[in-house]
Amino acid sequence: AQPYSGYGYPSMEAPTSAPSTNTSPDTSNSEASQLGAGEEPAAPRPLEAPEPNLSPELKKVNCSPETFRCTLTSIPQTQALLNKARLPLGLLLHPFRDLQVRLPVITSNTIVRCRTCRTYINPFVTFLDQRRWKCNLCYRVNDVPDEFMYNPVTRSYGEPHRRPEVQNSTVEFIASSDYMLRPPQPAVYLFVLDVSHNAVESGYLKYFCDSLLENLDKLPGNGRCRVGFLTFDSTIHFYNLQNGLSQPQMLVVSDIHDVFIPSHDNLMVNLKESKELVKELLAALPSMFAHTRESQSALGPALQAAFKLMTPTGGRVSVFQTQLPTLGAGLLQSREDPNQRSSTKAVQHLGPATDFYKKLALDCSGQQIGVDLFLLSSQYSDLSSLACMSKFSAGSVFYYPSFHHVHNPAQLEKFQRDLERYLTRKIGFEAVMRIRCTKGLSIHTFHGNLFVRSTDMLSLANVNPDSAFAVQMSIEDSLADSSLACFQAALLYTSSKGKRRIRVHTLCLPVVTQLSEVYAGADVQAITCLLANMAIDRSVSSGLPDARDALVNAVVDLVGAYRTSVSNLQQNGLVLPSAMRLFPLYILALLKQKALRTGTSTRLDERVFAMCQFKTEPLPQLMRLMHPDLYRLDTISDQGALHLNDVIVPQPQLLHLSSERLSRDGTFLLDCGSVLFVWVGRACSDVFLRDVLGVHDYASLPPSMVSPHTLGPLLDTPLSERIRAFLDWLQENRAFSCPLHVIRDDASAKATFFQHLVEDSSESGPSYYDFLQQILLQECR
Amino acid sequence: MILLTTLARVADGLPLAASIQEDEQFERDLQQFQSQAKQLFRKLNAQSPDRCTLEAGNFNFHYLIQEGVCYLCLCEASFPKKMAFAYLDDLHSKFFDQYGRKVPTVTRPYSFIEQLYPKNKEDVCRRRARRNMGSINTELQDVQRIMVANIMRSSLDTKASNLSSLANKYHSDAKYLNTRSTYAKLAAAAVVLLTLIIYVRFWWL
Repeated sequence: AQPYSGYGYPSMEAPTSAPSTNTSPDTSNSEASQLGAGEEPAAPRPLEAPEPNLSPELKKVNCSPETFRCTLTSIPQTQALLNKARLPLGLLLHPFRDLQVRLPVITSNTIVRCRTCRTYINPFVTFLDQRRWKCNLCYRVNDVPDEFMYNPVTRSYGEPHRRPEVQNSTVEFIASSDYMLRPPQPAVYLFVLDVSHNAVESGYLKYFCDSLLENLDKLPGNGRCRVGFLTFDSTIHFYNLQNGLSQPQMLVVSDIHDVFIPSHDNLMVNLKESKELVKELLAALPSMFAHTRESQSALGPALQAAFKLMTPTGGRVSVFQTQLPTLGAGLLQSREDPNQRSSTKAVQHLGPATDFYKKLALDCSGQQIGVDLFLLSSQYSDLSSLACMSKFSAGSVFYYPSFHHVHNPAQLEKFQRDLERYLTRKIGFEAVMRIRCTKGLSIHTFHGNLFVRSTDMLSLANVNPDSAFAVQMSIEDSLADSSLACFQAALLYTSSKGKRRIRVHTLCLPVVTQLSEVYAGADVQAITCLLANMAIDRSVSSGLPDARDALVNAVVDLVGAYRTSVSNLQQNGLVLPSAMRLFPLYILALLKQKALRTGTSTRLDERVFAMCQFKTEPLPQLMRLMHPDLYRLDTISDQGALHLNDVIVPQPQLLHLSSERLSRDGTFLLDCGSVLFVWVGRACSDVFLRDVLGVHDYASLPPSMVSPHTLGPLLDTPLSERIRAFLDWLQENRAFSCPLHVIRDDASAKATFFQHLVEDSSESGPSYYDFLQQILLQECR
Repeated sequence: MILLTTLARVADGLPLAASIQEDEQFERDLQQFQSQAKQLFRKLNAQSPDRCTLEAGNFNFHYLIQEGVCYLCLCEASFPKKMAFAYLDDLHSKFFDQYGRKVPTVTRPYSFIEQLYPKNKEDVCRRRARRNMGSINTELQDVQRIMVANIMRSSLDTKASNLSSLANKYHSDAKYLNTRSTYAKLAAAAVVLLTLIIYVRFWWL
């Protein structure tokens, strides 16, 4: 293999799987990459998901990689072959994501499913003749029901393979009453708010109330939608919002050791009917507690009350907490030792201190109640214990460290944007998900916020479009029966309008027998994300150093396995399959990420939150979290720009994450997924300062500031327009819009920017080059 | 107290609307009752009586069929029958005037759940039922039309059908045994004859 570009970045397109075009059986030029040899930085392109080696007809109908992605796009036929490759086998799925294309909805009365394995009919079944179809997961032959012979879309008879269920790998069925254990529940939302002195100090309440008032009509639901409110400090306060009252009535329960519901019908009210009262309450809440002296927080009892309120119907509970819970059941102690923040040894207290929150979450899951947590605290609040309330009830966790409405405008901005998305995004209730695979494959570990009710049934009290899941698989029996392996994820849920639906995604991948083909189809991003999930589990169970070692060993093992398999390669240095050439870089980035790093001072709550993010965020966000995208802004041009709807969107090149790429006379943008950093060099040109940032000189730029969407004021200059178009394009397909954080070169905040430059040597790890040397050394031993 | 109310189309058992009384006490059993209600809807047809009470342990199902729609409610055994049927009558008049025409055309389950139960509450219906208590006394003769049947009736049905199939089985088995015994008899006779012939041969010859 020829020495590839020094840092292993893809140079034009990423080469597609080689075997179909190569005549030689092994080691073609495009298959192997040697790293660390020369230094020819070719411009990196955004890495696309690898395409499986399938026929064009199958590729066309296959599930989108944004929904369903496998770590290996060519599945090894046997477990022995998989073990030889030293790569993990797993799936990353995002089943309820917002779809950009139209979703085919099947309205027929019969849902065609395999008789033995209950797989839904999909584009990858085989029709033996007009009346029989063969399941692609268990190979059973089934009959085609009469109703299926008629195609409502084309109004033709006798062509079952043209029906929309067989032409689309992502479909939605309308569920009959057989799929309902109870009548579909209405949308029910309960807000549990911390109103202790600390909460009032942080000032979140006013912004929450404003945001909810603004979005009250946009809450997903219909005429049956219900809301309720609970506030708590050392006592719990309920609000009677019964239609007909002249004003909301507050009921205080002070016995927190035996929580009871003071009134049965008036606390969760129909939103349409009691809207005026709800609005009155939200307007009054911030001032009601403005002078409170209560410093205790009885979160546990408040959650018990919430559970009792929600048990009859199920729904969503949104908890807003600003400190450690200090009173009643589930009270927590401060466990973090600030002196241990930069320790290189094992990090303590990554697991929960009590199982109160886990038990509560399991009870909630059983009653179809999802619990979401917003933690807005400035001190340690034991997120590792609190996050359990969302982990098992399929909820989401949001964390705003050092939140304060005046001193931390960046966090406030983020809170407001996140709330807007949170309140208005789609939601599914009382959901279950089942993942089925071809006979021979089995799933053994699940990652994400869900409850595993039985071997393949996952209970999700709520589903939302921003949560993703991962599973690990093993090959129990050889896959010799078929040349294709298929995976199907079926999500049964109740929409916010009370309609029961089943969303089905089906993925098809080829089965291969050669190790070289397995390597050619490896998906480096999916593999890294799955390994991240596994490392996080490992760090909680056996400690952080163990998990870090396991990650480094993953790279070492891969290098060793590739070298032994490609034994006629006489190359010194680090050789990897070309599909995995970025693997060492991503693993290094993962080791330097907040969740798993050592050596750099990391607050425990922030670390735990980063771990939560890895378990729930979809893959594109995770990649940016680990390995952000770096662009240069001041030299932005129209070269290679996209033309979308009469707007020219520049496409600046991606840069290596190294300070060598930065220059003092430039301005650089770092896209970290949930926040955008803009670093302005000391010698930045006056033209840029004036035309884009709207300031006269460098000194008049504030050292660190947070802007809403745009970089600087809305100026009419072409450079400003280009940059705005580019930033809008970056934010477009993102669920949560990112605030822009502008940092001057001499600001103290620049450390947050520089810590993301993973190729540089730092306290959290070696430089990329040194890391490669380290791998080589370990592998040779 | 009325715990559960469901409306369904008689022709195919498609549920039209439902409401559940929220009470932690009955939560666990409610799922079982709901599946029983579903089974009941499947069994209904044109021959079913249009007023009926079915006993299920400490609870009673009361249903009313009018114009192709079945109104079912589940109450505690102590809840007065008259009040339950008054409530169902009330429900029928409230529902049928507005939506009765649309019933044969809908295909999705629970199509009317939003219109009928926006708040998921039944207070209004119950209060009206209490008001109508007076008029119930004049309809005393209706009580005679109400047939009390045990919910075990359904299992009785299956037992009866089982019985007939079992009887058939016994019939065919008996036939088979009969033919077998006839063959056995014939075989025994043949053996005796053979022995006799041999005996005669050796002794008398």
